[in-house]
Formats: sequence, C-alpha cells, structure tokens
Amino acid sequence: MPQLTVRFEDLAVGDDVFSVSRVVTRDDVKRYADASGDQNPLHQDEDFARAVGFPGIIAHGMFTMGHLARSLTDWLGDPSRLKRLTVQFRAPVFMGETIVAEGRVKALDPATRTAVLDVWVRVERDGTTEYPIRRGEAEVGFADP
Amino acid sequence: MNAALEGKVYPDTTFTVDEERVDLFRAAVGEAGEIVPPTFATAAEFAVFPLIVGDAELGLDFTRVVHAEQEYEWRRPFRMGEALTVRSRIAAIRQKAGNGFLAIHTELVDGDGELVVLARATMIERAS
Repeated sequence: MPQLTVRFEDLAVGDDVFSVSRVVTRDDVKRYADASGDQNPLHQDEDFARAVGFPGIIAHGMFTMGHLARSLTDWLGDPSRLKRLTVQFRAPVFMGETIVAEGRVKALDPATRTAVLDVWVRVERDGTTEYPIRRGEAEVGFADP
Repeated sequence: MNAALEGKVYPDTTFTVDEERVDLFRAAVGEAGEIVPPTFATAAEFAVFPLIVGDAELGLDFTRVVHAEQEYEWRRPFRMGEALTVRSRIAAIRQKAGNGFLAIHTELVDGDGELVVLARATMIERAS
C-alpha cells in the first residue's frame, strides 16, 4: 500500500511544497490520446491544428492536469489523500516545451486535518511565463480513514 | 449550440479500469508507481464525451471547442479491474460574448451503487 510521506503538522500556509518539471513530447501526447480516449485531432494532426488557428499541435489540457496530479500524488506518497482538484486551462502547451507543476499551501484546517493548496502549471515561452493551468486548487485529507 | 439541451442525461455506459490501459496512461503522465492515477477518471469521461460532442441535437462545432475547466472529487481510489457505471449529463449551457459554455457533469458509480468520482468539465465553443 502507498504510504503518506507528508505530515500535516509540518505544513504552514505559504509553504511551496512541490515543483516538478517535464518535457512534453509528441510520443507522450499520442500515448495520452490512446490511454484517455481523447482523440481530438488538435492534439495529433498538424494540419488540423493550423487550420483552427494554432501554430502546431498542442497537448491535451488533461495531459497537463495529469502531470499536475501526478506531481501532487508523488509529493503526498498516498494518492488516496487527494480529495479534490480543480483547474482552469488558460494557455496551450506545444511539443518540446517544459511544463512545471507547482503547489503552495493556501489554508490548513487542524480540526478536519485538511489542507487546501494553490496549484498551477507554468511554461517559459519567449521570455515570459505562461500558465497553461492557472488558479488550480487541490484539497488534501490527512485524517486517517 | 442548442441551449434547450441543458439538463439532458446521456445513457449509462460501463467503463472498466483495465490494467493495460492504466499502464499506458501511467506511461503518458509519467507515473512510476503501481497506483491507478486519480486522473484516470478522464478515460471514463471519454467513454461518453464523443457522444455529447457528436450529438446532432446539441449542434456543437468541435473544431471550435477547447477545454476550459476541469474538476474532480474523489471519494475513494480506483480498483484495478473494477467496472464502473459512467453517468453524464449536461449541467449548464451558457452564451457569453459570442462564446458558448458547456458544463458536463459525470458520476462514476461502482457495483454497490457508491459514488467513486464526481467530474465536472467545462468546454468552450469559441466564437466563429
């Protein structure tokens, strides 16, 4: 069984708790399309992507959310502690780019041993920081079931 | 997009947490552990989404659709091999500044009738 690797008592509001980067490749996006069933050509077909106004294919929003969730559950050690995750998709991710998933403690409730985190995914592009995922929020339960 | 379809419930679909598919999903998102990733719920949603996007009554132009928001509430982890019932409905349809907003709510329910995951997806049909 996966074991919790974070202690509620060690967390403080404002703490930066994880930062995980990965390179987005065409192979992984294709794999994601097959695994998730999201076969929208915007994520596989260059001609289609250009026809609808993008410079090239983009990763699924859910591919990026998958990286964020994986970063969260790796940090926690026990994925069953992730109770809720909500995100807004606000910028595309192109092939070859490096996305960085990050989280910060927003609120702690000692009575229920629940932590709420601000979470996001950023990418550096042409000297500016873009946010493929902005204003995400995660709720983590530390009370033993 | 036909706003009259707000509230439409789509037929239940069965989705199996298939080991081979979970392996592929893990490889795609970079999960090294043995767990079923919580966002594997997306694969269950996509057992129904093509029916909604392709629903002639709804009249969505999929070439203009982008995913705007996603929320999951997990009540318990997935169990490898289990069969879940996927129940989707159109929770809301809104128009704003020429863009159409479509909210799809999906429940994943196990064989005991217990809710496993609640998923809320918001799609935008961009102004043409």
